Amino acid sequence: MDLNFSKEDLDFQSEVREFLDKEYPKHIKEKMDNGDDLTRDEIVEWHKVVAKKGWMGHSWPVEHGGTGWDATKKYIYLRELAMEGCPMFIPFGLQMVAPVIWTFGSQKQKDYFLPRILNFDDWWCQGYSEPGSGSDLASLKCKAEKDGDEYVINGQKTWTTLGQHADWIFVLVRTDDSGKKQEGITFILVDMKTPGVSVKPIITIDGDHEVNEIWFDNVRVPAENVVGEAGQGWTYAKFLLFHERTSIAGAPQLRRGLRGLVKRAEKIFHNDSPLSEDPFFKTKVAQIELDLSALEMTELRGLAAEREGKGPGAESSLLKIKGTELQQRLTSLALEAAGHEALPFGGPYGFKDQEVSSPKAAQLTAAKYLNFRKVTIYGGTNEIQKNIIAKAVLGL
Amino acid sequence: MNLNYSDEQNLLRDSVSRFCTSDYDFETRMKSVNSDSGFSKEHWKLFADLGWLAVPFDEELGGLGGDVLDLSILFEEFGKSIVVEPYLANVVLAGGVLKRSGFDKKDEYLSSIVSGEKQFSLANYEPEKGYNLENIETALDDKGLLNGSKSTVLNAPNADYFIVFSKKVDDFCFSLVSKNTEGLTIKSYKTYDGFVSGELTFKDCKPEAVIQEKDALNNLEEVIKDAIVCISAEAIGAMEKCYRLTIEYTQQREQFGSPLSKFQALQHRMVDMFMETEYTKSFLLKVLATEDKDEKTKLIYGLKNQISKSGKLVGEEAVQLHGGMGVTEEMSVGHYLKRLMVIANIFGSSDFYLQKYINS
Repeated sequence: MDLNFSKEDLDFQSEVREFLDKEYPKHIKEKMDNGDDLTRDEIVEWHKVVAKKGWMGHSWPVEHGGTGWDATKKYIYLRELAMEGCPMFIPFGLQMVAPVIWTFGSQKQKDYFLPRILNFDDWWCQGYSEPGSGSDLASLKCKAEKDGDEYVINGQKTWTTLGQHADWIFVLVRTDDSGKKQEGITFILVDMKTPGVSVKPIITIDGDHEVNEIWFDNVRVPAENVVGEAGQGWTYAKFLLFHERTSIAGAPQLRRGLRGLVKRAEKIFHNDSPLSEDPFFKTKVAQIELDLSALEMTELRGLAAEREGKGPGAESSLLKIKGTELQQRLTSLALEAAGHEALPFGGPYGFKDQEVSSPKAAQLTAAKYLNFRKVTIYGGTNEIQKNIIAKAVLGL
Repeated sequence: MNLNYSDEQNLLRDSVSRFCTSDYDFETRMKSVNSDSGFSKEHWKLFADLGWLAVPFDEELGGLGGDVLDLSILFEEFGKSIVVEPYLANVVLAGGVLKRSGFDKKDEYLSSIVSGEKQFSLANYEPEKGYNLENIETALDDKGLLNGSKSTVLNAPNADYFIVFSKKVDDFCFSLVSKNTEGLTIKSYKTYDGFVSGELTFKDCKPEAVIQEKDALNNLEEVIKDAIVCISAEAIGAMEKCYRLTIEYTQQREQFGSPLSKFQALQHRMVDMFMETEYTKSFLLKVLATEDKDEKTKLIYGLKNQISKSGKLVGEEAVQLHGGMGVTEEMSVGHYLKRLMVIANIFGSSDFYLQKYINS
């Protein structure tokens, strides 16, 4: 066992750093460092920069244009990006639908979609949850009926992240309701420009518009857009969810966030000495740091297992639970550290007519804390993840 | 020993509770939140007419001569509907300072609070100066002019008058500053729980009056302690509503062919929310029933620590058990969490007060 990077790994690390130094667009970096929201164009620009370097497919097999990196390289790469504060990759194409397409899709689908995903020509979003089907996803009702060589979709999806920006959506639809609820589900790809698709914003408690309802009103989709076999969608859906969960632990982002908070705390005064010297604050920071070390190592173990061909399984639920719990502890500690300096909010409730003196970093903590309430809910709630571990890992 | 409320106190509770349940639903609240002033003038007038704005003031002012115990009753009921009308800023904070000051014209100003005609704000905290009340720089100079800046001035955009805590030579003082004073700049904002607040800058401002020159710090400490008790009671009301909303939601939300409320793992979570609320209520009652001043002060510090933790736990669990719906702006539960998190962090964090508890 050896935790040290090899000479080759260290060289690779330098290469990643050099790339970021030269190619990470300055105007995007500035916005990210300030905590400002990026526009759609800026998010696309960042993905294109990475695509041009050929590094979009960091977890893709070589045959589909992936980098073919081993677990260590992939870890180094994602860590460097996160530590630099780069925008997160929009995962819906890259990490979610792509593995489904290359594993279960037709040759035509592979040829058309995979290069476009790798080049971020299409922005993908996810049509899974419905108002009545969240944790119990298999009870979904959004209906697709075969009509000649087309499917006609009617129904509603919800919680679709950044659906307002998307070109394509992958949708779980019910094509048969005669059998068990897990049967009769079909995984289909829909062009968002198809007549009958509409997007309705959902405003969340942080005042942001990040998630959406997607409505389908007699949406006609070519039958060739079905991935794999009609009626087998549940299998593909579960396969995708395992991939989703591994990618939301976010250890490097946590490391960077913690580092930023500790630095800010040097200038925060709740009483007469800086917060960074406060024993209670230091205790909380240390506890997060310890858990974070364990999370990083767990993530590494996951990567190593993946490399040995053991695809992400139920263990990814552990990463999801622990990672999201830590994210919430960190955003909560940041809010506490900002204290009453975090009060100015404006945004959804109207006025904030002038720049107030409260530090911007402090003002951002409330929205971030509130935004991160979602992480223990999305991608399958943490309660559902525990059910999965109980059943699939512990055999209960 | 007597742990019962008096008949008068029960009447007050009934009256506030009736208003909150029949005239202050979530939609009404959000109308206030999204309005320009951040509160409803009709509600404010009603509060005055019902005598609520007079609760802690002398009977000569039309008040009930009540104390923090009476206020806590009102706040607990307010908390159940997370009332955004600026009661804390006017009555408890600004009114509390005025009431305790030796200002000869205080009755005139207190009457305008009681009648609801004028709005007040207390300005004591300063940008990035933390929670120690004496850690300020704003000063009243020997020409009687105020210079400096204030932050976290709750209700600032609505205030006709500011009660300003500042330095004066070697001591502290309170001044009364009209919103139209030359040299006063007000920057307003809404807070993340939907209330209004602001920052003030004073440049050679001439106050209408200096209302207290001796023992001003002591006055402020007493007022902040009252405010902590009030927001703790409010938090308890909000927590109670949180677990009730959660029970209701999980009973009607079905997944896997059964209401969520039937899953034992979730039942236990709701039991924890309930216990945390009751437990914190006991702590509040302990504070209210304690007579020894030093002991009471120490317990109030402890209460702020307790409420910060329990409010966070109950609010977060309520959102989690509502699933995706819990994080939407259109559902009320997330707004309870926001208010609970503000309560956890205004006037000082849980750690700040734990330290004060240990040191007192």
